[in-house]
Amino acid sequence: MGDSSIKKQRESNLSINTNVLNKKKNLISRYLDNIKKNWMLYLMIVPGLLYYIIFKYVPLFGSVIAFQDYQIFSGILDSPWVWLDNFKYIFSYQDFYQVLRNTVMIAFYQLIFGFPAPIILALLFNEVRLMFLKRTVQSLFYLPHFLSWVVVGGIVFELLALEGIVNAIRELFGAAPILFMQEESYFRTIVVISGIWKSVGWGTIIYLAAITGINPSLYEAAVIDGANRWKQIRYITLPLLFPTILILFLLNIGNFLELGFDQIFNLLTPMTYSVGDIIETYVYRAGVLQGQFSVTTAIGLFQSVIGFMLLWIFNRLARKSEQGLW
Amino acid sequence: MKKSLGEKCFQFFNYTFLIVISATMILPLLQLLAVSFSSPIAAESKQVFLFPVEFTLATWKHILQNDVLWRSFGVTIFITVVGTILSMLFTVLTAFPLSRKEFLPKKPIMLAIVITMIFNAPMIPYFLTVRELGLMDSIWALIIPGLISTFNMIIVRTFFMGIPSELDDAAKIDGCNDFRILFQIYIPLSKPVLATIGLFYAVGFWNTFQSAVLFIRDQTLWPLQMRLRGYFTSPEALAEVNLITGDFDFNTITLKAATIIFATVPIVLVYPFLQKYFVKGAVLGSIKE
Repeated sequence: MGDSSIKKQRESNLSINTNVLNKKKNLISRYLDNIKKNWMLYLMIVPGLLYYIIFKYVPLFGSVIAFQDYQIFSGILDSPWVWLDNFKYIFSYQDFYQVLRNTVMIAFYQLIFGFPAPIILALLFNEVRLMFLKRTVQSLFYLPHFLSWVVVGGIVFELLALEGIVNAIRELFGAAPILFMQEESYFRTIVVISGIWKSVGWGTIIYLAAITGINPSLYEAAVIDGANRWKQIRYITLPLLFPTILILFLLNIGNFLELGFDQIFNLLTPMTYSVGDIIETYVYRAGVLQGQFSVTTAIGLFQSVIGFMLLWIFNRLARKSEQGLW
Repeated sequence: MKKSLGEKCFQFFNYTFLIVISATMILPLLQLLAVSFSSPIAAESKQVFLFPVEFTLATWKHILQNDVLWRSFGVTIFITVVGTILSMLFTVLTAFPLSRKEFLPKKPIMLAIVITMIFNAPMIPYFLTVRELGLMDSIWALIIPGLISTFNMIIVRTFFMGIPSELDDAAKIDGCNDFRILFQIYIPLSKPVLATIGLFYAVGFWNTFQSAVLFIRDQTLWPLQMRLRGYFTSPEALAEVNLITGDFDFNTITLKAATIIFATVPIVLVYPFLQKYFVKGAVLGSIKE
């Protein structure tokens, strides 16, 4: 007993001494010391680091092929540099503007209708007083999050097909059947609604967690002051939810043009390309399938730059009123 | 406390609204289930409303005898099981050092990892990288490129950081090294959170689609989702036997409905039991970003 406490005392003295010493040492020898002492931690992180370098950073820096005329057999090192030629090409290309317009339109609709949906739903959930009902309803709302877009796309196609249930209901009311999935005018609506259907429930979780964190005494005080439920939402819940909303908005705006390949790819048909072909599906067809690697990488780079600019602008705006991401 | 009439009205409409909308989350699947048990004539003439009409098992018999579908099912089972195990291992091994205060490069590495959340790897260079690694048309292309989800890694790291450090100080004095601290103290203490991210990974691997679109040309290696997509774009492939035997107890409508149910059943079956873990994880991940 006594021995071990003396040992501990010594050890702590030792660590104080080394701490003092460490401050004097330069960074490199501090790292060498740290590696020697905690080499197992360094060993543990090697697989993870390799993963992030190979699958995240190499592709990120691989974007330089946007400035090359990339040849498969020469690779990045030996492919000729063409600098901005690929960008000149895409900006003079009619199809690019159509794809860009589709992407921006769908992204805009998703922001306007898709972003507020989970906030509203979370507020509605929060007003439910019957616990068993709340739990059941929430469980049902979370379910579609776990289905793949292939399955959801399949469901959408089946239900909206000529023999599908939607047209069956239309027939009951004497309306003529509609080929929903093949008609341009319905495509974006279907994208937005199916997107909300799949993710609205899951999206409420983060807001519900934030609402749970609100101090109940605020509501009690408001009730004493005569605030009804609507006023409590308007003057307590929403303002206190605002920082969460803002952060999620910023995270969203950075990926503004990245709509998600899976969703569009599984809803698109050649008949709806004119309104539904987005950057990601176009890049897949022209890049992966047709091998125009450099041009499509340039489009991808353009998309990332726009995303980052939007994030930067909105982050500046956010910092003026509240706090931003950085 | 007494409720005003307005509040009662709101409550009524709120409950009704939530019940109706939440019903639409499950009804599409029930409708397809009903179609898959109905006769092709009933399905084609739009008679099916949530209940099978002219009940028949012919569609399911045909689906369950489809070797190609079972092969894809096998591929998906493989990548789900192996992928989840490997992902958990990689995630835990990465999260642990990053949760230790004595690990000097903790901050720069964390920053480098969070940056990859904002700047996604662009599709074409990502595709070329995986191809350069020789993973085209390999089942590992469905597993390795998605090994670590940064979101899940942060969940585990946050949880590890919440474990009191007195525990491992004591273990260190008893002569435990870092690996033993991780595997004998931290992992047993983190079972609930590991169950959560394990489920996230499993669902992710089960739903693998984009990796297959990009990296798998060989149809015998198609995972279930890819096979499903193949059947949607060319449903004739599903009904092939139909033409040979002249058996018309099913058609492409009932077959497509059945394949959708086939690919969804495992998720829907485990879902009610695991739901609480899912939610816990999503909340944990959102606490500290």
